[in-house]
Amino acid sequence: MLAPLPLGATVQSASLHDTWIVFFWVGIGVAAVVYGLIVWCVFRYRKRRGDEAFPEQFRQNTGMEIAYTVIPLLIVIGLFAITYRAERYVETIAQTQDVVVNVTGFRWSWRFEYPRLGISVIGSPKAPPELVLPLGETTRFNVHSVDVDHAFWVPDFLFKRDAIPGLENVFDWTPNKLGTFRGECGEFCGLDHAVMAFTVRVVAPNDFERWIATHRRVSFARKATN
Amino acid sequence: MSAVAAPRAESLVRNGVLSWLATTDHKRIGILYMGSTFSFFLLAGVLALAMRTQLAQANLHVIGAHAYNAVFTLHGTAMIFLVVAPFGFGLANYLIPLQIGAPDMAFPRLNAYSFWLFLFGGIVVFAGAGTVDGAAASGWTAYAPLSVLKIGFGAGQDLWIIGVMLVGISSILTSVNFLTTVFIYRAPGMTMWRIPIFTWEMVATSLLILMAFPMLTAVLMMLLVDRHLGGHFFDPSLGGSAILYQHLFWFFGHPEVYVMILPYFGVVTEIIAVFSRKPVFGYTGLVLSTFAIAGLSMGVWAHHMFTTGAVVDPFFAALSFLIAVPTGVKFFNWIGTMWKGQLTFPAPMLFTLGFLINFLIGGVTGVMLGSPPIDFQARDSYFLVAHFHYVLGGGSLFAIFAAIYFWFPKMFGFMLNDRLGKWNFWLLFAGFNVTFFPMHFLGVMGMVRRIYTYPDLPGWSTLNSIATAGAALQAVAVIVFIANVYVSSWKRIPAGDNPWDGNTLEWATTSPPPELNFYALPPIRSERPTFDRNHPELAAGSAS
Repeated sequence: MLAPLPLGATVQSASLHDTWIVFFWVGIGVAAVVYGLIVWCVFRYRKRRGDEAFPEQFRQNTGMEIAYTVIPLLIVIGLFAITYRAERYVETIAQTQDVVVNVTGFRWSWRFEYPRLGISVIGSPKAPPELVLPLGETTRFNVHSVDVDHAFWVPDFLFKRDAIPGLENVFDWTPNKLGTFRGECGEFCGLDHAVMAFTVRVVAPNDFERWIATHRRVSFARKATN
Repeated sequence: MSAVAAPRAESLVRNGVLSWLATTDHKRIGILYMGSTFSFFLLAGVLALAMRTQLAQANLHVIGAHAYNAVFTLHGTAMIFLVVAPFGFGLANYLIPLQIGAPDMAFPRLNAYSFWLFLFGGIVVFAGAGTVDGAAASGWTAYAPLSVLKIGFGAGQDLWIIGVMLVGISSILTSVNFLTTVFIYRAPGMTMWRIPIFTWEMVATSLLILMAFPMLTAVLMMLLVDRHLGGHFFDPSLGGSAILYQHLFWFFGHPEVYVMILPYFGVVTEIIAVFSRKPVFGYTGLVLSTFAIAGLSMGVWAHHMFTTGAVVDPFFAALSFLIAVPTGVKFFNWIGTMWKGQLTFPAPMLFTLGFLINFLIGGVTGVMLGSPPIDFQARDSYFLVAHFHYVLGGGSLFAIFAAIYFWFPKMFGFMLNDRLGKWNFWLLFAGFNVTFFPMHFLGVMGMVRRIYTYPDLPGWSTLNSIATAGAALQAVAVIVFIANVYVSSWKRIPAGDNPWDGNTLEWATTSPPPELNFYALPPIRSERPTFDRNHPELAAGSAS
């Protein structure tokens, strides 16, 4: 609870987590100083019995005023430097990717298409789709929408990216933890926004190969029966 | 003073309902504004309770999805366009002419027109609830292409667009009025560097409105064109741009945030100075920081769009961080004003301290959200919901209560009960924090905003039921406030002209002030002429 943010389950999320922690503790520090001064004023300078004469009516103190302008300025310059570095890292797109997934948001579910593997998974509000990713491999995501604005968000990966009609958003994820993670739509999109969920299952690379094989067969079987 | 006859106004009717409907007196218009915003506040509060009831536990179905979407849309719209911003206009209407020693606003009839336009606009927004598809349900931001859809977004959405447009135009007219009044209606001796901080804040607010609100009118008009006249501004399949809506909306929407907070910076500054028995510390720096905030706020709209992948994040992050500097300056102005003072804590000062404590949390989380890597997780989560409620609820709303407790005696001539005022404060302070603090954790855990239901994940129901309990506590606090007004108006303890030993000119006239405000003005030699008159030995520049 002290620094309430998980580490995240991708390689990229570590830098998001670190940024958060820095801001969190700087925020705590600033708040402690300001609250301390306010509490000091409230208890030390409360009007006491016998305080009939007015206190000294000073209006300014140039030295203090310069100090409390410059020090916060230095703090935010530092915060900006940290932000800039983390963002550059997160937004870096790898030259080569192991897997590519095209994510399409629609009212009110998702389609995950693996163009190189010939696999497509489509969901509905009642049957949320599952996105399967190989552990330790970099997956390229191309996110877009066919109707209104959505956002593709996996809270455990500490990252969301909007799906907006007419735009294609690109980013990489490299999962570094096995498991199943919840995903949801992060931008209000109307009636069933609340249930526009999906799951992400991160599996070992050989399990991923097995998943590809069975899924291709299923897709093939469906095509055959159609 | 006795030789001066009571000032006379032109109005023909002076009493009864008609006199309020026909009034052009800035004080009556101010009271009408504040009364109307309080009614909208109660309405929006009931909607908030409906939301908190629906979200008390996982998988509840007290109200359905569509109704919930309409409820949060109306709650946000009302709180932003019909409560927090216009209460500031109402207060400014009442105070600006008094604080600068003017008989009325520069354009009294325009002033009345602005008020009725605002009230009518608000009613039009809510009238959507009576249409077939119900009220607007696309959020207070009404993002296109969602808000352009016809299915599920019928006449209620159109009424919302038109109502908000009317309110926006009313704000533009009001800000023209404020600026003209401050620039040319100041009493002799009231130089710009002597106008009270609240009036300064309203000058900055009015300039922001003049720059930002025409964009609101334009973007809403474009929505109407897309909806009904075959336009494709926001439809990418026909050459439009969906992201364009967000740019235009936030170009208005971010300055709007400061339109909702700057007036209240002014309120707390005035109150802290009076209850510390000291002048405002760093007056010049405080005014300059206000204009720094206003200027920077015009250049940070895209920090609402970090996750869209369509903006240059570092630029907007840098400018957003910079706003923290002048805001920090204000905090030190307030601390400096209290420093070595003689503090007393009646209800207005308690609410002001509540403002400082809550707003600081909103400020810190605001800097966090200004950092794109953090925003990628926190945007549109309950962390964001907590953030802006700490700014606009814990901040602005607490300052609204501070302002009511502080200036009510001036407006109506009798005091509000201070004991009930303290109950009001502590209940609201506890209720507010119990409601909104847990939302930080919910957001980090991945709870997205604007959902009518959520799955039963570990901890979610617990934190949400705590928030719901807090909302109930806040409702009790508001009931205590209403009871206070009722009890106090029954007891009617006279306020006198100057119950708090105030600084500014409104405390130099009667309570309530006469039509056209003043029988005589004290000499104006500093930013606190009333104080100078009452305590000549301490007056600025006095031989001592």
